[in-house]
Amino acid sequence: MGDQNTPLTEDDARQLVRRLGFGIPVKESKKFRVSELVGLTRGAAADLFLTFKPKGFKPKSSDIEKAINKWYKYILKRKKSLALQEKLVIFYHDHFATNFSTLDVQEGEKDAIAMMAEQNKMFRKNCIGNFKTIVKLVNVNPAMMNFLDTVVNTKDEPNENYGREVQELFTLGATDLNGEPNYTEDDIGQVSRAFTGWHHDIKIGTHHLHEEDEHDTTAEFPGRGPKVIFGTAHPVGGGHNYGGFASPQSFITGGEAENEIDEVTEILFQHLDTDGENTVARHLTFKLLEYFCHASPSKATVDAIVTDAGFVGSWEMVPLLRSIIVHDVMYETAVPAPFGALTKKSVRWPVDYTIGTLRSVALKPKGGELQIPGGDFNNLGELVAEMGQVLLEPPSVFGWNWEESWVSSAGLLARYEFVRDVVASRGKFKPEKLIDTDLTDPGDIVDAVTDQLGVTSQFTATQRTTLIDYLTDEGTNPTLDLNDFDTRNRKLHGLYGLVLQSVATVLH
Amino acid sequence: MAITRRQFLKRSGAVAAGSALGPGLFGNPFVRTALSETIGDRYLIVMLLDGGNDGLNTVTPVDNQGGTLRTNYEGWRNAGSGGIRLLPGELAATGIDPDPNTGANLALHPGFIGSGAGAGGLKALYDLGKVAVVQGCGYPEANLSHAVSSGIWETGDPLGLGIGYGGTGWVGRYLADPTTGYGGTDIPAVNISSSVAAEYRQTGTSVIAVSRLRRFGFPFDKQNDNGTQLQEYEDAFLAIHAEASASAQPGVAQAGDAGSSTFSASQSYPALHNLYNDDPDRAVFEALYPNSSTGRDLKEIAKIIHGVETGQPDIDARHFWLRNGGYDTHSNEGGATGDHANLHNEVASAIKVFWDDITDMGAEDKVCILIWSEFSRRIQQNASGTDHGSQGPMFLIGGKVNGGVYGNHPNIDPAAVDSKPNTIYSQDPLDPFRSTDFRDVYGTVLNHWLNMPPGVILPNVLTLDTGFPVNTYWTVADLDLPLFVP
Repeated sequence: MGDQNTPLTEDDARQLVRRLGFGIPVKESKKFRVSELVGLTRGAAADLFLTFKPKGFKPKSSDIEKAINKWYKYILKRKKSLALQEKLVIFYHDHFATNFSTLDVQEGEKDAIAMMAEQNKMFRKNCIGNFKTIVKLVNVNPAMMNFLDTVVNTKDEPNENYGREVQELFTLGATDLNGEPNYTEDDIGQVSRAFTGWHHDIKIGTHHLHEEDEHDTTAEFPGRGPKVIFGTAHPVGGGHNYGGFASPQSFITGGEAENEIDEVTEILFQHLDTDGENTVARHLTFKLLEYFCHASPSKATVDAIVTDAGFVGSWEMVPLLRSIIVHDVMYETAVPAPFGALTKKSVRWPVDYTIGTLRSVALKPKGGELQIPGGDFNNLGELVAEMGQVLLEPPSVFGWNWEESWVSSAGLLARYEFVRDVVASRGKFKPEKLIDTDLTDPGDIVDAVTDQLGVTSQFTATQRTTLIDYLTDEGTNPTLDLNDFDTRNRKLHGLYGLVLQSVATVLH
Repeated sequence: MAITRRQFLKRSGAVAAGSALGPGLFGNPFVRTALSETIGDRYLIVMLLDGGNDGLNTVTPVDNQGGTLRTNYEGWRNAGSGGIRLLPGELAATGIDPDPNTGANLALHPGFIGSGAGAGGLKALYDLGKVAVVQGCGYPEANLSHAVSSGIWETGDPLGLGIGYGGTGWVGRYLADPTTGYGGTDIPAVNISSSVAAEYRQTGTSVIAVSRLRRFGFPFDKQNDNGTQLQEYEDAFLAIHAEASASAQPGVAQAGDAGSSTFSASQSYPALHNLYNDDPDRAVFEALYPNSSTGRDLKEIAKIIHGVETGQPDIDARHFWLRNGGYDTHSNEGGATGDHANLHNEVASAIKVFWDDITDMGAEDKVCILIWSEFSRRIQQNASGTDHGSQGPMFLIGGKVNGGVYGNHPNIDPAAVDSKPNTIYSQDPLDPFRSTDFRDVYGTVLNHWLNMPPGVILPNVLTLDTGFPVNTYWTVADLDLPLFVP
């Protein structure tokens, strides 16, 4: 069991760089290189990565594809902690998902891009800020207000779209970590009442408005009952009420007006699981662990991290992320192959797999379209899309399907195609600059390539032998001359292809 | 959604049982087994209307007859600006048989008449007696979360999240059942999607996800070939993935299986694209498919069916999945025109051309299309759309389907709905509006189309409807046998 004082091994450092950023970049500032991180304590490394001031970038352009490519280009070049900044922005973009095409239908391309870009900038600015603040900003974020119909949620015709998802997805989850429901349909209806009458002004951008005459009041709608949420008897019984509240919680203690949405948010952040632990803290931590570490983290791990970070009440992201970075959960998947049944593995996101690979082999996509300069000369965005991901365009409010969806046959073929395009980028992809071409022993060459990509420990001995057999044509050519153009072009390019297409690189 | 969608189960891409994978597989990746006895020479296509299709504006009462359905409908759905009410005149061209309970005349949403090469749409197929409309499908205690309710329909487990079935999908369990005869290396199912649908999640056989067959070939670095290089690369690729398949770690094993099966499928499936397009009989229809996602997806399915029908080697898939998205019409739903109408038009037009295509192939009697949605929508509209609701209709379409209206229209009387208001699922045998359980529709399909005793796939179905005797399993008295023509 390690802690913040545990020094990073080389495998740990590689894992950390991969997890917090995109691949192991060839070009990186000195302090953030794997070689410099080795020997630092986990705590010191966490502080190194988490001490930064977020940048003001936003992916805005005249058309959506240019905007998306602008973001890809931005990520491709980020060094130091700013790779983590982008990893976090993508996390929030998935967690509080809105998509361009829905806004495009509603408001047209120009405003839709503007709203998505503005939201993206907000996530970036707050990426290591306060989670409750972020939820409050999302409540009145123009892209979100459009996407989940807050703008058409009025007293006469209430719309439950946001009232449901703010609970199910953004804060609580449909069920707690014990599998018990967190709220009732009545709670959804009541929360939706708080959000009646909210609009935004696209032209001004982030400015939001509250129309009193569209706001639902108890005086006007007595049949809708009192404005309270949670606190009713929970089906698990045993005296437990929804949210762990002794009685239903009013969200109009400050009157019936625009204060209601903040009051609702405050109540959501006090909601408890049926075993008495804070629901929001667990829900967010669980999801961060799924994102940065692996699927299905244990309840014990989640609780340990929440406690270590003092997250309940502070809602500060930096201590929470620090507690994740110093916990064993960040490193346990880096153990050498072969893996035991209980070793946790996670499928790398398409955007991580592709941009991480490009950074790891120092290949620069070409032109504004970010064309991969080889093979079928596909554009980066098209390949990532075929893998199942388009930035600024998550498929629904649930964000992207993670894990198993990323390794469908369609998604894998797109990954293989991307890798083929990369290694076939003749004259641009230069493995001779990535490893020592004076190596002649096939085992040394395999190790040099997997070391350079940071995945040596992820290959079994048998797989390593397979790669050696590939280089030697089953032993026919026991040594290789990588300074020979044809040998290098065929075997070294092929070796990179095999390693990048292998499960060792697809998962982490 | 996080938990169900992200469990690292064998749902994705191509998946095969680890124990079935040995070196022999890769020498001969397509060890074709004898055709399964279970589905015979038939096909099943599962289609999801994603987001919660508004059932009340899908099968709509045109009048009252012996009840008050139309009056109640007009009470919930507004005419005029922002209104989504379908007027009797707008429903005149899409009439179907009356509601079995009230006798009210019913009509399909006017969008279902289709357009272009698909003109006539589902209405034309209904008139041919090929469409079964099953009303009021749901389950007890409707869950109105997209994720949870989808999970219930996909697993066939109304307890939620497929707890009783280990998260496996109902079609997946059927494919994996030993009696179907599918081995770990067979590919009995193709999903036209970037990922495999939860209904197909299982552990026994391979299910592949394909977006477009044309682009499904393995991407070799062909500039790199010296005559033997590609074979050497293939051998190494397969060996590395076979080793991964042997991993004790389930995610690694799954990704290894997926890589191997993807490679195998990439060697046989892409050819179906040209095979179809180069066949003069098929090319006629190729040009007719609407350029919509449903049109393009059904065309891919037609290419695979064409491949099976013409006996192509290593092409065995008889189970398919596709989705049409956009049904979460909280706003801007529209009535006879607008978003909802456009979705129905897309579905109906594409299915009509697909139908004409497979009929021309002589395969129409072998095909059954099952259409579902995770829930219906609030019976009372909001400003311009509808929030989440409970029961809605399902469709079964096929040459051997005994067309007509099955099941009762849900009871939309203001006195009979809950406080939201949503209709209430009821299995009271004395209730004239008695609901249809979606599992009964699955059960009928399993029983009479897939030749699988439904209890094998839905074993807990009998114990969940507490308080009712076992013989009420078939919630619609005439659903079981007559739904399919023998």
